[in-house]
Amino acid sequence: MSSVSEPSAVRTPSVSPPLRAPALTEIFRALLEADFTVQLRNNRALLLSFALPLVLLYGLFAGKRGLALGDPQFRVASALTLGMASIAILGYAMTVARDREKGVFQRLRVTPAPTWTIMTSRLLVQVAAILAMALVLLVAADLFEGVSLTAEAYLLTLIGVIFSSALFLSVGQALAGLVKSADTLNAVGRIAYLPLFAVGLFGQSTIFGTTFELISRWSPGGTVETLLSGAMNPSSWNSDTWLAVAVSTAYSVVFAGIGIRWFQWGAR
Amino acid sequence: MTGHALQVKDLRVSYGPKRAVDGVSLDINEGEIFGLLGPNGAGKTSTLSAIEGLLKPTSGSILIRQVDVRAHPGLAKALIGVQLQSTSFQSELKIREIVRLYAGLYGVPLTKSAIFGRLTEIHLGDEASRRFSQLSGGQQKRLSLLIATVHDPPLVLLDEPTSGLDPQARRQLWDRIAGIRKSGRSILLTTHSMEEAQSVCDRVAIMDYGKILTVDTPAGLIEKHKNDPNVLAVARGQVTLEDVFIGLTGRELRE
Repeated sequence: MSSVSEPSAVRTPSVSPPLRAPALTEIFRALLEADFTVQLRNNRALLLSFALPLVLLYGLFAGKRGLALGDPQFRVASALTLGMASIAILGYAMTVARDREKGVFQRLRVTPAPTWTIMTSRLLVQVAAILAMALVLLVAADLFEGVSLTAEAYLLTLIGVIFSSALFLSVGQALAGLVKSADTLNAVGRIAYLPLFAVGLFGQSTIFGTTFELISRWSPGGTVETLLSGAMNPSSWNSDTWLAVAVSTAYSVVFAGIGIRWFQWGAR
Repeated sequence: MTGHALQVKDLRVSYGPKRAVDGVSLDINEGEIFGLLGPNGAGKTSTLSAIEGLLKPTSGSILIRQVDVRAHPGLAKALIGVQLQSTSFQSELKIREIVRLYAGLYGVPLTKSAIFGRLTEIHLGDEASRRFSQLSGGQQKRLSLLIATVHDPPLVLLDEPTSGLDPQARRQLWDRIAGIRKSGRSILLTTHSMEEAQSVCDRVAIMDYGKILTVDTPAGLIEKHKNDPNVLAVARGQVTLEDVFIGLTGRELRE
């Protein structure tokens, strides 16, 4: 064992050390303020997470082809799902991978902030972004496509959006856990849109046959679309909607488990 | 008699089968600058990472002002300030926002004018609205040092604080490090620069293969090892600290 003990420079200390670890409220206030600022300045992610679902909403209502995909609520739910997937992948997973590569997390981890507060703050900001996107989209659906909701349906839909955001954010966490490089994650994230979102578009359609419809309905995107279209029309809430709640929870648990198990704070 | 700012006892850190830190013990006194020298892969950064809480040691104990790092990580981290080897902050934040974030994480509320005042002290007042990536290397190091000490910690850990800096910026940073010590804080720094170790460190330890080989004042190390055959074999004239370093750690290249 190697040892060092002999003092050679002894001075009178004049610094009063902090006598306590900072409170969680102080830590959260600092993290949330910074994370919200980062979110608002991330123009590319902002544009994609708001513009993409609005474009899809327009597309799904513009022609007759959209009718084949499902009822109006289902089509609005599809646009909401795309927005959530965009925010989770572009706004969350990509930023996490980029910050990890740059060493931002390691810098935060040497502060008294517990690691769970660093991630929780980021997740809360993403949930807020998802809620903002959902509100904009629901208002646009009402104003331009005539899909109006009752107050009860609005509330239920927003609760459904918060609930569904757990699924997509846990997918984002899993992607950030499994893919270390930000560049690779960028590519993988784009491919992930297919099973995450696009497959779910056909959850109410037999265009590609009944087997594909079944796969589509219970894919992550299809599950969320079933859940949200049920929330938008509470009178149609049925056993399938409850099943969608259960399946969505199961997806969230599995993906969050993968994301937490394989997540690394540092790039090396 | 003053207490110890840092006490490390029999620290071991492993990466799988590879032991990066192998039984390191060291004490750092209040108000002391302690330098950790060693070739690449010697275990310097791993030792620092264990103290900072970034790595979980296999065994051993770390006390910062008598606070056990593993038992009370939040409090222990509040007692240290850290400058990592390569630091980066969120690219969307302006540097005044970065200072505000890190002050907040230590529970130190800083007003706008207080932040501006601190930035002005390190000649970055005019850069308050710029991003970290827009600063020069020297400015980035100064900001990193400011953030490491934003909460006036009694112990500051600096991992190769002057690497990549030009001689002017390096001298400026040495002055700031000396200023930190003058205010009564202790500093543990790692460096590859013998000049830096001699200029700023009160005591220096030479480390290799995860172990501390020797420790003393820079002058004391030269005196202690000047007749060592391995040191004499590499010396060109009067024995220097670098000769001692090479003599003890060998000539072969480390990756």
